[in-house]
Amino acid sequence: MPIIFEQVTHIYGAGTPFEKEALSAVSFAIPDEAFVGIIGQTGSGKSTLVQHLNGLLKPTRGRIQVGDWQIEPSSRLPAEFRSNVGLVFQYPEHQLFEETVAKDVAFGPRNLGLSEEAALLRAKEALETVGLSYDELKDRSPFHLSGGQMRRVALAGVLAMQSKVLVLDEPTAGLDPAGRKEILEAIYRIHRERKLTTFLVTHSMEEASRYADFLLVMAEGKVVLQGTPAEVFAEEELLRHHALAVPQTVELIQQINASLPGEQQIPVTLFREEELQDYLLHRLRQTRAVIIPE
Amino acid sequence: MNLLQNFPIGQYVPGHSFIHRLDPRCKLLYVLIFAVLVFMANDGLSYAILALFTLLIMKGSSISYRYILRGLKPVWFLLALTFLLHVLMTKGGTVYLAWGWLTVEAEGVRQAVFISVRLALLALFSSLLTLTTSPLELADGLERLLHPLSRVGVPVHEIALMLTIALRFIPTLLDETDKIIKAQASRGIDFETGGLWKRLRNLVAIVVPLFVSAFRRAEELALAMEARGYRGGEGRTKLRQLRFTWRDLLAFGIALILFAVIGWVRR
Repeated sequence: MPIIFEQVTHIYGAGTPFEKEALSAVSFAIPDEAFVGIIGQTGSGKSTLVQHLNGLLKPTRGRIQVGDWQIEPSSRLPAEFRSNVGLVFQYPEHQLFEETVAKDVAFGPRNLGLSEEAALLRAKEALETVGLSYDELKDRSPFHLSGGQMRRVALAGVLAMQSKVLVLDEPTAGLDPAGRKEILEAIYRIHRERKLTTFLVTHSMEEASRYADFLLVMAEGKVVLQGTPAEVFAEEELLRHHALAVPQTVELIQQINASLPGEQQIPVTLFREEELQDYLLHRLRQTRAVIIPE
Repeated sequence: MNLLQNFPIGQYVPGHSFIHRLDPRCKLLYVLIFAVLVFMANDGLSYAILALFTLLIMKGSSISYRYILRGLKPVWFLLALTFLLHVLMTKGGTVYLAWGWLTVEAEGVRQAVFISVRLALLALFSSLLTLTTSPLELADGLERLLHPLSRVGVPVHEIALMLTIALRFIPTLLDETDKIIKAQASRGIDFETGGLWKRLRNLVAIVVPLFVSAFRRAEELALAMEARGYRGGEGRTKLRQLRFTWRDLLAFGIALILFAVIGWVRR
């Protein structure tokens, strides 16, 4: 679903001493089926932004378009609107509540009006998507799982709703590196398979560069930079100004480039780990052929 | 959607006004003094003086009137009810209106106005206490004021600590509730439609995670306190010592004058 923000401003606690402008005149347009990375420091307005996507928050000023839906300050949204956008909050395991894993994951689909059977089928599918065994876990209490498993069950709970837009607010916070990668790979796979429009909020430039094909960089409630990863990483100075860094791959390329002559420079567009790896191996083989003829 | 926006019951607003800088003990005692004064007052003039005094304090707290009045939202219903009951039930004096056995009489109107003004003033004054005093100061002040009771076996320190923790966690739990409601709303819960049973069932999806997180927080807090050497109130020293200053002296002076004035003008 294409998503458009036009001059969206959001003010918390308007008219109280705690008034705070969390978003100021944010505008962008996301094409259908894009994978969008939202990067920014804590308190830059990322979470506020994503809560506008499924109508949990309405703009104080401005206009939002999600597919065919319009959200304006005075809009009243029908309940079915929310099923368009699956939103996974930070630490989603804090929302688990059912007696069994199967029931908890099937909660969303049941709310959509599916039959018990159909809902459980969706739960099974969603659990397997995130790499958990339905038969093993279905009757266990979600509160007796490990942290990483709880996170995946919660994620499955949103995936089971099969919405066309998926929004993830720091889905990997507090996980170990292996767990991070697994969850992100699972998300990326669903994104491709179901042709979703996906938003990934993250602190990590590495995560963003790896999966996103469009980046929004936020600071102090504004989108300070947007574009393809290559375009964004080219603005290194601006990123540094907002206390953000380019991904380590880009940094590595820059460091190598500093000692290479002009015609042998490595293109900075190779910020994906595998691509850079292939390229460097290829170059190494070539050079070896020149330097070590034997 | 944000619960905190609709829940400003006496939430502390940081500041440096005269009222903010009074000793919390002074402010706590002042609420008691004011309550006595409000019950002493019994005619228009004495109420006017007390209302004026409250207005002065509101001004002195440098918090916007609108915000203070918003905090009274939960009391409006009580005020309206009190007013209505007194208007209809208290008899005596000229009869203004009558429908069957329901009558509005002069004495009733008088009582209704006075009693609701009394309630409103008390609610305003005590909300000013919590608006200008941080929960920590409040509990500190209370602990010091109640200290003499610990001689007769009242666990004053524990009560004060419980109070501090409870006050400290109100906004945190509200925040948490807000988050959980949003998360479950994103999973398609519909709070607005459906029968009573369905709505109650929906509530489970909020209450269970809230309890789980409250227990988790309690455990973490206990652990953090022990890790920092907390062993109860015995021999515990304080970072911030409470000290009466000229401000508090001035405040008590004003209280004495108020007593004299109200005592003199009341009928």
